[in-house]
Amino acid sequence: MRKILAITAKEIYTVFRDRNLILLMFATPLVLSTIIGLAFGGIGDSDVPDFAAIPVAVVNHDEGVDLQETVNLQGQFANLDALPFNLQDIGLPSELSGVGPNPLLQSGSELNFGDILAGILLSQPITGTATLGGAEIDVAQFECTLLGPPQEEGAASFAAEGSLDDLLDATAVQDAEQARAAVQSGEFAAAVIIPPGFSRRMIPQFAFDEGGRLYTQPADETGSVEVYANNGRPISSRILHSVVAGVINQFERVNVALSATLETSVNTLVDSLAVGDIDLSAVNLPATAAALQGLDATTLEPLGCLIAPGANNVTVAQQPLDALQEAPQFARIIVPIGAAQAVFFALFTGVFGMNSIYEERKYWTLQRLIVSPTPRSYLLAGKLVGNLAVVFLQILILQAALTLIASAVLGAPTFIWGTDIAALLAVTVALALCVSGLGVFVVGLAKTPEQVQLFGPMINISLAVLGGAFGFALPEQAARFSLIYWGVDAYVDLSLSQPDVSLNILVLFCQGLALFLLGTWLFKRRIDL
Amino acid sequence: MKTMVEARNLRKSYKRADGSTIEAVKGVDLDIHQGEIFSLLGPNGAGKTTTISMISGLVAPTEGDATIGGHSITKQPMAAKRLMGFVPQEIALYPELSARQNLAFFGRMYGLGGKKLSRRVDELIEFVDLADRQNDRIDTFSGGMKRRVNLAAGLLNSPPLIYMDEPTVGIDPQSRRRILDTVKLLRDEQDMTVLYTTHLMEEAQELSDRVGIMDHGEIIAMGTQAELTQQVGEEDRLEITTGAQNVGEALTERMQQDIAGLTRVLYNPPEPIGENSGESTPARLTVFAKRGRTALPQIIQTLDAAGIDIQSVEVREPDLEAVFLALTGRALRD
Repeated sequence: MRKILAITAKEIYTVFRDRNLILLMFATPLVLSTIIGLAFGGIGDSDVPDFAAIPVAVVNHDEGVDLQETVNLQGQFANLDALPFNLQDIGLPSELSGVGPNPLLQSGSELNFGDILAGILLSQPITGTATLGGAEIDVAQFECTLLGPPQEEGAASFAAEGSLDDLLDATAVQDAEQARAAVQSGEFAAAVIIPPGFSRRMIPQFAFDEGGRLYTQPADETGSVEVYANNGRPISSRILHSVVAGVINQFERVNVALSATLETSVNTLVDSLAVGDIDLSAVNLPATAAALQGLDATTLEPLGCLIAPGANNVTVAQQPLDALQEAPQFARIIVPIGAAQAVFFALFTGVFGMNSIYEERKYWTLQRLIVSPTPRSYLLAGKLVGNLAVVFLQILILQAALTLIASAVLGAPTFIWGTDIAALLAVTVALALCVSGLGVFVVGLAKTPEQVQLFGPMINISLAVLGGAFGFALPEQAARFSLIYWGVDAYVDLSLSQPDVSLNILVLFCQGLALFLLGTWLFKRRIDL
Repeated sequence: MKTMVEARNLRKSYKRADGSTIEAVKGVDLDIHQGEIFSLLGPNGAGKTTTISMISGLVAPTEGDATIGGHSITKQPMAAKRLMGFVPQEIALYPELSARQNLAFFGRMYGLGGKKLSRRVDELIEFVDLADRQNDRIDTFSGGMKRRVNLAAGLLNSPPLIYMDEPTVGIDPQSRRRILDTVKLLRDEQDMTVLYTTHLMEEAQELSDRVGIMDHGEIIAMGTQAELTQQVGEEDRLEITTGAQNVGEALTERMQQDIAGLTRVLYNPPEPIGENSGESTPARLTVFAKRGRTALPQIIQTLDAAGIDIQSVEVREPDLEAVFLALTGRALRD
């Protein structure tokens, strides 16, 4: 282990002693990023027309769900037969066992998540009524305390805040194809297309297992909201994506909370019935049903979380928007550009760092190491870890330097990479693994150092073009093949206080590991002299 | 006498790009005793470096094996490598690191650390007389100084055996003298076994207790210098550089017949140096004679009569060069 560490330390030391290399590793990406940042982001904390009033098309095909169906026992609760008793036997009327109309909800009572999402994006106050137990209730009265106290009350307050109104210039469009075409033509930066069945997907589906326990069935993945983005405006589409994801996350959080509450309550009730703690003969079900007729919005508080758009807006969706609006223009530009340049130049470090094995062979230091009582696997491990560490440090130092530059340009200390340091480090580690893995792979693939010098830059530049490091973006499907895309996407998300970069880390880690192993296998022959 | 290195039937073949195979070393057998300087002498391309590379574990032999202090280099490489130091022909040092950093780094590769490593580095810096330059980068050193650090790096683990592959290539006479003295010192004061490869007959002659002469991948002669020179007898060797005129076979035969004491006459005609330089090596006549100085006037007279220009004449006592010439018909420098 000490020998591996000694080789790693030597690798790091020699890299950071080489002035030319330092110039390539640090000065060039910093200068490029700063120039691009200043050219497109301006100096100081000016208002930014680019990211205000992002033109967005909103298409809502969601037909909503009938609330009566939602509380329909046979429709909603699958496998009712698994209960340890018979519903009819315990005197439940046929209506509650799923046959005939539900006495709590009148036909026509509906819930439409698509309308709520569209309303949020269009900055329209959500008004309307929910019909519960025969009584019409204004949805604006609903509050959601399930997830903590709301900052504002009800739907009406949402429109008053108007934060999305500043950011988005949303237009309702009827047809999805028409919206996509408008995005392609540049009329809109992106389109949010809410598919049919969206509400149905959002409503938790319950079932009883074989033991008669209630559980929530996995949600159907079909019917996801589509954000159709214009690739020429990647940042705008990212912003929109984060808004939509935030609202939907909130829907899902409420659903999870409701499901958990319902599962606990029902299972406790079923247990009590099964052991005879509750004497059903003493329960006056018709009276209970009548009492339920009198429920008001305050009693149905959890349902309010589903319906009240104010709850959705305040707790999740607004968080990234605040971050965006607080971030100055230069910072918004320097993050994706700087991250892309950092990763792009790190690719060269990765490839040429591993290529140093050829240099060592040429100058016989490799032979001297092989003749020493050091296993070849240690030599390789030391080289690989050294390269990984150099790439990791390069990206970190570039991030620190870009932070300093951004602070200097903006005239105030500004940490542009978000506040989640652990996630930032995790992304950088995964990225360093991926970059040095690619280096090992390229060097392992090439037969001579000359081939590395030829193919290395070709591969790096191709990845940079794919990943959008040169300022123009290719279709996302193509960009996903580039590790630069995954890295930059993660850094931008973190800078927007979007902490969920686990997919990016996973992709980078897996890609890096695969390249590392494949490259190592190819590379081992390089130290077989 | 304890055997430090024992090689049996060492062979190394390489595949060419066209698929054919070239055999660089063709079944070398070797025994090197503890505390001796053993030189592998041969022209460039004779297979000396490949042999030393196999014995040091740098390249795997295609066939055969070698043991170092009883440890097989192919089966127990780590144990064998702990007993050896290695001084390659090239300056195997990191140019961007200082002499001290280089030695410390390679010392760690031999498992040294802490004060022990620091002390050993101090000793070696002192040994190669570079204390005042120890913290300077290697790329600021002269060729001779680099060679000395290169040598020191091979001594880090205080090995009982050290391989030196042409360690004096490309350095000035002063530095060369220093290295040769150091090699003798290692044997005489530290009882170190030295395997030394060179294409310079003078070095092999000065240093070696025993010599193995290699040519075309084979050891063609092996023994002490006295044993080897006996193979060519007590003959002097006359090296005569001639003009461009062709010394024909008829003339060399006539010389052998007419001049008493001549045993053999070899003629090397001029050969072009490079493809387009237009220059060529001088023609050289090598004459083996029982009493070279006595025969010399008659040789000169015969050549003069045949119209051959004589540019220089050198009379040499029996040496390793003569052995090589006698065995291969070529000079070492060829």
